[in-house]
This record gives sequence, structure tokens and C-alpha cells, in this order.
Amino acid sequence: MSSSVPGPEIQLVARAHSGESQAREELARSIGNTAYVFALQLTSHPDTSLDIAQESALRFFKHLDRFDATQPIEPWLYQIVRNQVRDQARRDRIRRHDSLDVWISEGKPEPRDRNPEPSETAEQHELQLSVWRAISELADAQREIIVLRDYHGLPYSEIAEVLSIPVGTVMSRLHTARKNLREIIASGDASTTRSNP
Amino acid sequence: MSDLHHGFDETLVSGYLDGELTQGDAQKVRIHLEDCADCRSLADELNRIKETTMSTEFQLPEDNQWDEAPRSASSSLLRSFGWAIGALWLVVVFGYMFWLMATESEDLFAAVLGFGFWFAIILIFLSVLIDRLKTRKTDRYREVEK
Repeated sequence: MSSSVPGPEIQLVARAHSGESQAREELARSIGNTAYVFALQLTSHPDTSLDIAQESALRFFKHLDRFDATQPIEPWLYQIVRNQVRDQARRDRIRRHDSLDVWISEGKPEPRDRNPEPSETAEQHELQLSVWRAISELADAQREIIVLRDYHGLPYSEIAEVLSIPVGTVMSRLHTARKNLREIIASGDASTTRSNP
Repeated sequence: MSDLHHGFDETLVSGYLDGELTQGDAQKVRIHLEDCADCRSLADELNRIKETTMSTEFQLPEDNQWDEAPRSASSSLLRSFGWAIGALWLVVVFGYMFWLMATESEDLFAAVLGFGFWFAIILIFLSVLIDRLKTRKTDRYREVEK
């Protein structure tokens, strides 16, 4: 099952907040999936990400009563997941690169466009794999800001909230991360070209 | 921290690509990109990487990978209560059956056969029960709703 994992809708949160069981179930699924993908992008570990997603969902529901339904939900959720990832990393000393191949094979990053030209699909897929491999090689602070902006589409103000940094810092950190990402991709392309002349 | 490229703050390129600049800054970047081939090439490349990142989709966990869990404190309590009563009922019923077999059977071979069967059933049941109880104690995610 694949999905583009849209963030939870505010109406759904309000319905879940009022105790509607179907809404709680829908919200739990949405929260779990969003948290899983974000955790996977930060840790590169499918199993660890599932644990983190479940723990994050638990925390989310535990504090749902205190949540201000007029505020966007994503920053809060991403903050929970990020804290879980950091706690987990401290506990287990996650070694991301060891499991990179597992992530690539089990996380199965693939094109969102379901009906592209076949030649475009292969090319696009290769490009996506090289981009996500490069993202997983970035330093933690750079990886999370790239993922939050370029995959999850958070505005700078919400990224600042998630990362607890000034809004002004978001753009400079993001730009540095993007330039590093470009260099990693370029060096990967160069080494591929060298090994496959 | 500024990233100056012949007097132009290069970090603005990212803000421009993300649509996060003020109208004045966006205009400044647009004009600079028209004149500067290096920054134009950088912007094109960063945009291509950004679009590739955005266009990716990830495999989500299957439904059965999420833990089954009670949906509220009351259902959790009821479930625990049900397990306790069920376990007690089995102990009483099987205990009574053993007692009957041991005291009322005249055929020793039949009693041993019957006892062995029920003893095996109890061991299997206990192994499942122990696993369940252990999971309840150690699984931090048991309360997570799907």
C-alpha cells in the first residue's frame, strides 16, 4: 500500500476531539502514516519508524484534549515525531547508513505519478533513489529541514516551530542543506560514472 | 548567515524557489537570475532536486503491522477482566476434571491417557497466556489506536 500521506485535516481532528469514534480511527491512521513516513525519512529504519510512529500516535492522542483545534496540526505532530527520533537515536545509537539498502528496498520510494511514460518512470525512479540516498547522508539538522520543506511542504513559519529556530534561520539552513545535497548527488553521479564507464 | 555571490545573498534563491520572499526580494532575485548564469544554473538544479523529492511516494505499513489495541481505558479494563475470568475458569474446570479422573477412574491406563492429553492442552494454553501477559507488560505501544 502506497500513499502520498496527506496531513491530517483539521475537521477530522475536531470530530475526533468531540469523541466520534470513526473520526478517531481515521485520524489515528492518518497520524500513524504521516508519522511513519517522516520517521522513515529521518532514520532510514522501517522497523524503528513503525515503533516511533506508534509511540507518536499514542502521544498525539494522549494530549488531543489539550490541543487548540484552531492551530495547524502538522507542526505539533512533526515535533512529536522528531523528539521520538532523537530519543530513539540516543537510546539505540541508530546507524543509518548500515540500513540504507533496507530502507531503499522496504521504504520503496517511487514516483507519485501513476501513469507516466515507461522511459520517464525508470529515469525518474533512478533520480528519486539517488536524491533520497543523498538526503540520508546529510547531517541530521539538514536532513530534517529538507524533508519538512521539500517533501511535507511545510511553510517556513511552521518549520521554525517544529525545529524551534527563528524563521530567519530556516531559509539559510535550508539553502545550505540544498547545496550540500546537490554536492552529494553530484559526487554520487561522478562515482557511478567512474565505476560504470 | 549570508552566502554572498558577487554581492548577491545566494540564500535568497531558496526563499525564491519556495515562494517565501517578499515581493521586493522576489523581484530582486528575478532580476539577478536574468543576469547571472551561475545563480540561474544553481536555481534550476535546486528546483529539479526539490521537485524530485516532492514527487516521491513511500510504502506505508500494512494494517496488520500496527498493533491491535483496545480503543479506550474502559475497553482495556474490560479486556483485562475478561482475560482474568477466562484464565480462572480454565484453571477451575481443568482442575475439577483432573480431580475426577484421578479419583473416579478405575482404569489407570485410561486415566494416564486422559491426563496426558489435558496436560498438553494446559501447557499450550499457558505458553500462549505467558506470551500475552509478557507482551502486555513490555509492549510500550499497546495503547496505540490504529
